[in-house]
Amino acid sequence: MQDFFAKHPSAWRAFDIFLPFLATLAALGVGAIMLMVFDANPLVAYGALLEGAFGSTNALADTLVKATPLLLVALGICIAFRGGVINIGGEGQLILGALAATLVGLTFPELPGYVVIPAALIFGFFAGAVWGAIPGFLKAYFNVNEILSTIMMNAIAVQGMNYLLREPMIDPDQLEAASRIPQTARLSAAFDLPRLVPTRLHLGTGLAIIAAFLVFIFLWRTIVGYRIRAVGLNPDASRYAGINVPRNIVLSLLLSGAFCGLAGAIQIYGLHHRMFTDGSATGFTGSAGFNGIVVALFGQLHPLGAIPASFLFGALIVGANKLQRVMQVPSSFIIALNGLVVVFVVGADYWRRKFARRREAEVVSEELETSEAEVPT
Amino acid sequence: MDSSPLILTLASIVLASTPLIIAVCGEIITERSGIVNLSLDGSMLMAAMMGFIVALETGSIWFGFLAGMAVGALFAFIVAFGSIRLRQSQFAIGFVLTLLGDDLSAFLGQNYTRIPGPMVTHYPIPVLKDIPIIGPIFFNQDIVVYFAFILVAITWFWLFRTQPGLRLRSAGDRPEAGFARGVNINFQRYLYTIVGGALVGLAGASYSLNIKIGWSEGITRGLGWIALAIVIFGGWSPIRGMFGALLFGATKALATYLQRTFPEVSVVAFNAIPWVLMILVLLLVGSDFTERLVTIAPKSLQKPLQRLLRISPPQALGSTFVED
Repeated sequence: MQDFFAKHPSAWRAFDIFLPFLATLAALGVGAIMLMVFDANPLVAYGALLEGAFGSTNALADTLVKATPLLLVALGICIAFRGGVINIGGEGQLILGALAATLVGLTFPELPGYVVIPAALIFGFFAGAVWGAIPGFLKAYFNVNEILSTIMMNAIAVQGMNYLLREPMIDPDQLEAASRIPQTARLSAAFDLPRLVPTRLHLGTGLAIIAAFLVFIFLWRTIVGYRIRAVGLNPDASRYAGINVPRNIVLSLLLSGAFCGLAGAIQIYGLHHRMFTDGSATGFTGSAGFNGIVVALFGQLHPLGAIPASFLFGALIVGANKLQRVMQVPSSFIIALNGLVVVFVVGADYWRRKFARRREAEVVSEELETSEAEVPT
Repeated sequence: MDSSPLILTLASIVLASTPLIIAVCGEIITERSGIVNLSLDGSMLMAAMMGFIVALETGSIWFGFLAGMAVGALFAFIVAFGSIRLRQSQFAIGFVLTLLGDDLSAFLGQNYTRIPGPMVTHYPIPVLKDIPIIGPIFFNQDIVVYFAFILVAITWFWLFRTQPGLRLRSAGDRPEAGFARGVNINFQRYLYTIVGGALVGLAGASYSLNIKIGWSEGITRGLGWIALAIVIFGGWSPIRGMFGALLFGATKALATYLQRTFPEVSVVAFNAIPWVLMILVLLLVGSDFTERLVTIAPKSLQKPLQRLLRISPPQALGSTFVED
């Protein structure tokens, strides 16, 4: 086994990349045991999961639609993590982006789609940026812990959303019918993102994938991105190198929030076409703001790694819903299964690093041997 | 016995603050040893759920509290194991556990929602309860409330006045120095993360058994994050943490009062108040505002005031320790 890896160094890279997938399979294995506890045949159950996620064009489209906000949030999380800050405010930033984008569509119902849609997406992007920049500013200049402040900003965003959707932004029809369901009117159909009829797949998925490549280029091929990563790796060294550390902390949280905000805007224009709330955050976001963090970790905090990771999680969510309907297991089984995957993936990272250390040790000892051989006697 | 509305309100604030006080003490113990247990919000929910169900099924609130503590300790152990042994980010593990606890408690507790159950009995302390004003506020309560205040004193004494406390703080402040002096740093971290986690679990159970009796989905949601913020506000000191928790309880009571007084103001404004307040508090503590404020005070008061207001996190907080 070790000889094989010694002969083929590229096999290590492949191993690193596939480890999360192996971990997912292991988690599904444990899930199979849980299914047997529920008296369900795991083979049938996982068949249903696969069919639900990939079984038809519609299923595949739903998987992609589910993966879209996860990917965008994960991109934001990647930027924050690379900049050395942790952004748990994805939920709030997503809500702010969606609210801002909805507001654009509601304010200009007469304008053509090719004006309103880009304007709304940009507006959502900026709204998320603002909501992310506030904790960034507090962190950079007032030493406020960003984990806590982003959580608080989530709660404030949810309350703001509840107020706006119950009072000023509520659907006039809801007021007339006196049912008062907290949601806005449906946006003009002219504003719907182009859709691959008859599926629900919309242009947003393509935008998200393009965004992933842009984020990759930004972080690894531009000076600004380099500075963000430098601050994340070593703030002290960056300061001595003349990099403005506080400004880059604000920037990384700002950009992080911006991509979460864009996710919210795309959810509105691609999928829901109106903003709604059930009083909590998850009603609208489906916890994408939190699951995006998991996706980013799964993709090893690399923007391009986030693409397959978000696809896998989208498939897991969509497929699990089908599994639950077919097998009649409690819906919380799905949540537990998700949790298992996360735990296994995080655990697998330990093995990856352990192997990496051993590998380095081997290389060093080999170099030592060769250098000793070169010493003239 | 004095039972004016103000006294009753103050007594209810003290009662409502107890879960926060206990959780803050637990997290202070954990963070002083150098580990951040970020799973508070999830583990409190799990503990509240387990504590109530066990108390209901066994008929004994004590088993309920024990179950809550066990759950909290288990979550804390996972955080400790993941960060010490597996060398993963403790923030990532804690956060994932928060999500898991939230979902899992909703799942496991789904058959027990909104049913009445056992509760802690009221136990006024004789003699002390007759002291005017203080008596009805602090001594006309139940045993969990008394325990919370005793816990604050014990935690403070343990941390700052005993040998084991010194070893505990060395693990969080100067792990290398502690190690050189023969302290098993990672053992300290395991031990106090689990002890702190058990207290967090106790806090969760004390909510469902003493404040809002029973279980419903997300019953303590948010409380864990507030506790984490109060730990910072309290400068990692149990006594200041206690005041922070009481202050938070008081502002919430005030918000409820204002809401009743001004019904025309939307309810979401009042729901958002605690969160805005917490950000402002963290801002106040994090900036050098308080230090500048001290310089206004008379010279003789500056030194003690500085000591009172100084906040310094454990220096090795959140970093892993590798023996070599």
